[in-house]
Amino acid sequence: MTDRRVIDGRVPRIVVVGFGPVAARLVDELLPAVRAGRLALTVLGEEAHAAYNRVLVADLGVGRTTVDAMMLAEPAELAAAGVDVRLRTAVRHVDRARKLVRLEDGTAVGYDRLVFATGARAVVPNLHGLNPDPHTDPGLPAGVIALRDVADAAVLRRAVTGGHRIVVLGGGILGLEAALAAADEGAEVTIVHHGPHTLARSIDAGAGHVLSATLRARGVRIVADARSTAVTLRASGDGTASFAALKLDDGQEIPGDLLLLSCGVRPRIELAEGAGLATDRGILVDHGLAAHHDEDVFAIGDCAEIRCLAAGCAECAAAPSPSGLIGPGWRQAEHLAARLLRPVSSVQALPAEPAPVMLLKARGVDVAAAGDVTAGPFDDACLDGGPLRVSQWADPEHGRYVKMVTRGGVLAGLVCVGLPRTAAELVLLYERGAELPADRSVLLRLDGPDRPPAGAATAGAADPARTVCRCAGVGGAAIDAAVADGCASVADVAARTRAGTGCGGCHGDIRARIEAHFQPAVAPR
Amino acid sequence: MPSQTTPTHCPYCALQCAMTVTESDGAVRIAPRDFPTNRGGLCRKGWTAAALLGHPERLTAPLLRMDDGVLRPVGWDVALDVVAGRVRRTGAQYGADAVGVFGGGGLTNEKAYQLGKFARLALGTSRIDYNGRFCMASAAAAGNRAFGVDRGLPFPVTDLDAARAILLLGSNVAETMPPFVTHLQGARDAGGLIVVDPRRTATADFTADGAGLHLQPAPATDLALLLGLCHIVIHDGLADTAYVRERTTGYGALARSVAPWWPERVQSVTGVPAAQLRRTAHLLAEAARTGGAYILSGRGVEQHTDGTATATAAINLALLLGLPGTPGCGYGTLTGQGNGQGGREHGQKADQLPGYRKITDPAARAHVAAVWGVAESAIPGPGLPAVELLASLGRPGGVRTLFVHGANVAVSAPDSTRVVEGLGRLDCLVVADFVLSETAALADVVLPVLQWAEEDGTVTNLEGRVLRRRAAVAPPPGARSELWIMAELARRLDAPSTFSADPQTVFTELRAASAGGLADYSGIDYELLDTGAAAYWPYPAGSAGTPRLFRDRFAHPDGRAVLVPVSPAATGRDALFKAGTLVLATGRLLEHYQSGAQTRRVPELAAAVPAPRLLIHPVAAAAHGIDDGGPVTVANDRGTVRCTAEYSTSIRSDTVFLPFHFPGGQNANALTSAATDPVSGMPEFKTSAVTVTADAVPDTATARFPEAS
Repeated sequence: MTDRRVIDGRVPRIVVVGFGPVAARLVDELLPAVRAGRLALTVLGEEAHAAYNRVLVADLGVGRTTVDAMMLAEPAELAAAGVDVRLRTAVRHVDRARKLVRLEDGTAVGYDRLVFATGARAVVPNLHGLNPDPHTDPGLPAGVIALRDVADAAVLRRAVTGGHRIVVLGGGILGLEAALAAADEGAEVTIVHHGPHTLARSIDAGAGHVLSATLRARGVRIVADARSTAVTLRASGDGTASFAALKLDDGQEIPGDLLLLSCGVRPRIELAEGAGLATDRGILVDHGLAAHHDEDVFAIGDCAEIRCLAAGCAECAAAPSPSGLIGPGWRQAEHLAARLLRPVSSVQALPAEPAPVMLLKARGVDVAAAGDVTAGPFDDACLDGGPLRVSQWADPEHGRYVKMVTRGGVLAGLVCVGLPRTAAELVLLYERGAELPADRSVLLRLDGPDRPPAGAATAGAADPARTVCRCAGVGGAAIDAAVADGCASVADVAARTRAGTGCGGCHGDIRARIEAHFQPAVAPR
Repeated sequence: MPSQTTPTHCPYCALQCAMTVTESDGAVRIAPRDFPTNRGGLCRKGWTAAALLGHPERLTAPLLRMDDGVLRPVGWDVALDVVAGRVRRTGAQYGADAVGVFGGGGLTNEKAYQLGKFARLALGTSRIDYNGRFCMASAAAAGNRAFGVDRGLPFPVTDLDAARAILLLGSNVAETMPPFVTHLQGARDAGGLIVVDPRRTATADFTADGAGLHLQPAPATDLALLLGLCHIVIHDGLADTAYVRERTTGYGALARSVAPWWPERVQSVTGVPAAQLRRTAHLLAEAARTGGAYILSGRGVEQHTDGTATATAAINLALLLGLPGTPGCGYGTLTGQGNGQGGREHGQKADQLPGYRKITDPAARAHVAAVWGVAESAIPGPGLPAVELLASLGRPGGVRTLFVHGANVAVSAPDSTRVVEGLGRLDCLVVADFVLSETAALADVVLPVLQWAEEDGTVTNLEGRVLRRRAAVAPPPGARSELWIMAELARRLDAPSTFSADPQTVFTELRAASAGGLADYSGIDYELLDTGAAAYWPYPAGSAGTPRLFRDRFAHPDGRAVLVPVSPAATGRDALFKAGTLVLATGRLLEHYQSGAQTRRVPELAAAVPAPRLLIHPVAAAAHGIDDGGPVTVANDRGTVRCTAEYSTSIRSDTVFLPFHFPGGQNANALTSAATDPVSGMPEFKTSAVTVTADAVPDTATARFPEAS
């Protein structure tokens, strides 16, 4: 591949650094323009795989899906369309002065527009025995993984199939999902976390209690309020050291064969920093996704932090900070593609992101949470004059718990455990900012068995005026008269009255009326 | 007078229940007939269909709008001369494309075929389309793209009986075609009836007591739901990999397109719990393995601006599970109108010639031109799909003189107020109908025609089986068949080719015109049908027809089905859920049919449901201060409907439902949008944002039933 410099009149060259899910969406959106020869596109990915759905890495680690099924891009097809796709390609340095991306292999790629889609990497906690330097790839010891990519998943898979003991460090959603999936597949799992319960950032104490009980009932061991200090290693057969136990500050040791770190993620910004771009937690971009002070450089997805130079910018405030959620990144990719393809003035502003919703991805354990759920029903903020109202239902014995925090009837926060239909509806109502029913208990009964039938079809079965067969429009009285006249089967009644000739849903009713009529023939009690 | 019993089929829906019509001493009686589709069943509409024969409101003379603006009876020669004159004048002034034709899915095959020929040869216009654009267009486009052919059910409906699982998408068959429900019994017994509907309809109730599952997605989220099911099938290893490898193309791109739709994400979009989605996918896959799974789609998922994409996603799911063409399994769409299948095959569509041929295909044009005995250049090119055609009425470059056959667009078209305005802008509106429908009442010329039991012909039911309809009673004097009307007008317009008034002659010509096309009828004739033979197309001469398609190959040149990746538009949904608005879904009631022009005139049906009621959840009603049975106004920036509210917990609290069978101030289509699907031209009937407000309670009876007939 030659080093292409900018030549006036040539099609613009776009280089994307990173080939994760967000980059894949951007590439998809740009593809028609590449096919049409209106732009040249290069994608640089570090991994051996093209983009795959990282959300499913835990599922892959327990054997619930395959790498093939997770793929979001096909390099051969992209190449056929004219995209320059390079896998296993690490970037050494971005030279903004010359508009060159210098690669580890010594070559360089020229750009007119550069997009950082470098994503995030797992946070490695400060523990004896681990190197937490965020600027280097962790180089974790054997038996310690962060469950971030396909290679990590392969390690987890071996542990699960081998019946190994797995220790999960961290009580966040990703750790919990991995722990539950592994336990479901038969692994012996211990979760070690700070605070009194898991998901402490998203759910309140009541939900935490119910969730902890649910986790224990599914065979997951939980060590709460734990401060870990060190990783103990043991020599394995081939002479290398591998994970043996997690050491806590009270001296307790949690033994295991695999340590799964789930301590959050951090944007990968070092390339941007090295190129002299403004960064904070992420690469700083304006609400049009362009880097500060360089309108030819952009960042999207987990590596981007939207905060423009204007203080108090409302559009930036509506945009998400790095969150680890994939949806906002995809919307950013769509927006940036439009911006790269069309005059900026014709591109609608990046849509405001709805407040994030947490939905636990686990089978048989239903947890949804959003917003602030710290308030209790009898807190000052919820009593007369306060802005909030809280409705709550707790049934720990059966693993069910709901809290709805509302402001002006609209959800400001919710948490829901063990009630899947309720959770699904509450999330829709939260995202729409819709007012809840005044009778909040309506929302609790969606999962119940007492939902009334659609029509009045089964109400008042004995009422002779009631329509029994709606299809033919026949009432009970007409059927009773036919039966009294000697019709003794559904077919007889149908022939006489038309009842039962449509969908057949009333045949049971007709039979019951026939039986009721002939009942006296049986010895009365 | 001796009684005479004639075997025929019902005038209403595409199930085309078999019945007998018996006339004795001037009275006409209807009885169900044993037949594989309806098994001796009928619904209330079928039972009472005779009420339309000899109805006091039957039109028995042509009507011409006089200078005083009043429609008055005239003789046939006068009426036809006026029509021919108007056609000539419009053509001379604005060109042939200023004359348009709007057909219907209720017309017999003979009428639908001859109407397409009449438009192209007698009127010389490309501007013909029909109301099937409002019904089957999305499913048809998706089927053609995936399979290379569109036959609603590519298998006899009785094949469903042995199914262990049936996924029913947006179809309320318990109300729209009740006798069909018997074919769901096997799946119900196996616990495998899965109904997807935002309403807990009578059909959804059939999933109760262990008979299956009801998934109740939020409005306009069907596509996401289906992408989620495809995702689960792939990731949980449920796909029929040998089938996908040997019988389809496009798997890789499809798998990548659904990888982002994991169940919990789909839950957060649709409101359907992930566990229900998983159970659905596993139920279907399990049934497919044990020999019996079907996926059936209906208008509920198709009548959207993403209807083609949604139908495509349903087909993709079916292909992943290896259903189409596999014995005991399949995918199909449930056609709605009586001849909604045949009506979409023989040239009423803007882009189509008989035999389901493409009007842009030179070979197809040459074949049809040869049958018609005209030069290929005499056949115009493609016209405009229905919504665009109606939008062009009276506009510069648009249609100035419009023929309407078998349709009531003033009630049935989306954004009906604009459509009525368009009809008002026409230089001339000609409506052929047997009663004074709301559209006919706006016409300059009304031509009284025959109905169902008064004439011979064929229809093609939802299975692609061609059926004989027979003349059972004498028509009223003064009414004429549409075939005769077309023949008379063609003569007056000096049209090339021939136009027969005899159904059998027209069918013979249709056979020749369809020969070699996808929907090949060349081996079918009236004598064959009169033997009771089950004639499924394609039925080339010399064959025995095709009860089941796709056994060995699909209709694409390589014999494979195509998996087409689809995804929701980036935007579009959130606008539905503005503060204070509810989402309106429209649909059918058991007691009425389409625009109601027929069923509102049947006393028993009109008495059962004389006026529309707005279904609303008590929770939504409470929030809007609406009483059960109280008068309400349903409105948006397109229009207003006044009706009564009916509480129901069967509907989601963010959604309300109105039937679309009522005219004027009760017309649900005053609220629907003319926005259309980019592939099929299907309008968005199922989701419109509306406000619902309680009206002051006026005098009792008149407000409740203002248009009781």
